[in-house]
Amino acid sequence: MVARNTISRRQALRTGAGLAAIAAIGAPSILHAQTRTLKITTWGGKWGEVMKGTVLPAFEKEFKCTVSADQAFPFVPKLQASPKNDPIYDVLHTNSNEQWNSFTEGLVMEKITAKEVPNVADVYPWAASDKIVGVAIFTSAIGLGFRTDKGLTKPTSWKDLADPKLAGARGGYIIPVNSLGQCHLMMLGKVYGKGLTDLDAAYKALEALKPIKLVDFTGQMEKMLLSGEVSMGVIHDSGVYRYEGPNMQPVDFASPSEGVMALEQVLNVTPGSKVKDLAFGYIDYMLRPDVQKMLAEAVWYSPANKKVKLDAKYDEKLLTTPAKVATLIQPDWKWYNARKEDIDARVTKILKG
Amino acid sequence: MTGGTRPSPIAWLVAPAALLFVLFFVVPFGVMAMMSFYSGNPVTNPNAFATTRHYERFIFDTAGIFHDALWSTLRIGLVTTVVALLIGYPLAHWMARMQSRLGHALVLMAVIAPMLTGIVVRTFAWMTILQDKGVINTLLIQWGLIEKPLPLMYNEFGTVVALVHIYVPFMVLTLTGVIGRIDERLEQAARSLGAGRFRAFVEVTLPLSLPGILAGSLLVFALSISAYVTPSLMGGTNVLTLPMLIAQQVGTSFNPNFAGALGVILLLVSLVIVVAYNRILARLSGEQGMA
Repeated sequence: MVARNTISRRQALRTGAGLAAIAAIGAPSILHAQTRTLKITTWGGKWGEVMKGTVLPAFEKEFKCTVSADQAFPFVPKLQASPKNDPIYDVLHTNSNEQWNSFTEGLVMEKITAKEVPNVADVYPWAASDKIVGVAIFTSAIGLGFRTDKGLTKPTSWKDLADPKLAGARGGYIIPVNSLGQCHLMMLGKVYGKGLTDLDAAYKALEALKPIKLVDFTGQMEKMLLSGEVSMGVIHDSGVYRYEGPNMQPVDFASPSEGVMALEQVLNVTPGSKVKDLAFGYIDYMLRPDVQKMLAEAVWYSPANKKVKLDAKYDEKLLTTPAKVATLIQPDWKWYNARKEDIDARVTKILKG
Repeated sequence: MTGGTRPSPIAWLVAPAALLFVLFFVVPFGVMAMMSFYSGNPVTNPNAFATTRHYERFIFDTAGIFHDALWSTLRIGLVTTVVALLIGYPLAHWMARMQSRLGHALVLMAVIAPMLTGIVVRTFAWMTILQDKGVINTLLIQWGLIEKPLPLMYNEFGTVVALVHIYVPFMVLTLTGVIGRIDERLEQAARSLGAGRFRAFVEVTLPLSLPGILAGSLLVFALSISAYVTPSLMGGTNVLTLPMLIAQQVGTSFNPNFAGALGVILLLVSLVIVVAYNRILARLSGEQGMA
């Protein structure tokens, strides 16, 4: 006699629910085992377009992973709030001052070497100097942007910004919140005093720049220059050079003789990252000559990799030779950050009213 | 024998709001207050220690900007509230006494319409009106009435103008409901007993509308002192409020502990002002514990 092996509706539902539960619990780990996710920070604007449209899809394809890119500021407070052993980011992309803050709090590694990232062997010394934590992948030069239709002669010195003719028509930054403003303050110490750390001379020179129009972001400075709201202002070279060709505007960039300050784009890995190999792989990828060329020419950034050959019009203006790179001055952000609270209070009082 | 007392149905209805309040105010505020008494984040940093240094830093204010920022915040909040009340009360009174339903609906739409636009957009609109090359200064210069642009922006004046525009609807909507519930016959009775329109308003309508004035003022005051976007854009470097300092501490100084202390101080000072305001109005209206 053969027993009839029937399944009741209740049994079928129970079995189905059990399988669904197993699938729900098991599926993410199975998927995770197949496709890993790299969590990074990155900029928006034109940079973000190129990253999301070309660079990241190619990286995902080659490394068989997915990249979760956060473009919403501020990055460091989010990293601060996440557990160190399971950080919100695997790779932190910020300017150098924020990397130093993050390093001080143990949120990122100190150095990225050629051992972890082979392409570091090919970078200019500035990109892995003692002024950098992590590794810099690009830099801009902070100098003076100016209108070419206002009868101004091309500035040759940082002192040209103090020309009385520019009263109310010169532009700077709200120093506590902007690293270009912080660089400018240090440069004032060098130009009017004993060096980048001569804060007393810098404060005095800052006072003398009033009336000055101040903004939070470089994008606002670009708009003020383009609209003619200011005739001369502190800005990085890429913020001016990108308005070339069909976007041509009556603005130009000048590198003062005292030197230009470096605005580095720095990548670093979080010590608690669960996908460190992928994180190092990403930094190595970003330092590849072809990727460097693509991004440098898209946003007018000077590449860190010495082997990059840019097209002539970019090569002419960007820092692509040892001689040009020698004009870069790298601020000591460790020194600055240790005094930031006092500096913020002092410049706030100077610039208020 | 019956079991324990059952919660009333009202308690169940209130529960979601209470849960929301606990989850999104009490817990975050508790965390912020706790953080303000630590040197770092005690969850992620094992070396963080308990300290009162953030409060000492504010109290002793060696930097010379924190007390100014607090005073500036409260001054902007108070002036915005008073101006919003002066503009909002007549409008609310007019709306509440309006006989025409269509007219009431149209005015209501006009009051609510600006709220359908984002605060950033409205602030930028004020910037195009008040800046040096804005509508007002350009017209005045073109008409030969002034030679140099008037300082309408990048100061407390411009900040208050924009804040009043943004928060007047909150005042009007709060007052309209309260004034609308005041029995008009009371005012008519006062007038039939010989009071003039003004005296009837001052002695009858105004005292009865005090709960609305209190609620509307508290709402506008709370929104004004916690505003960040508008003071940042309209005030430039000449206006520094506590919310701006808090954002600066979190976003660029990476010091959430001091930001937490500033948040606690702002809340405490505001509570003192609110309680004092409540008591003064309660005394004026002869009632106790109006709010």
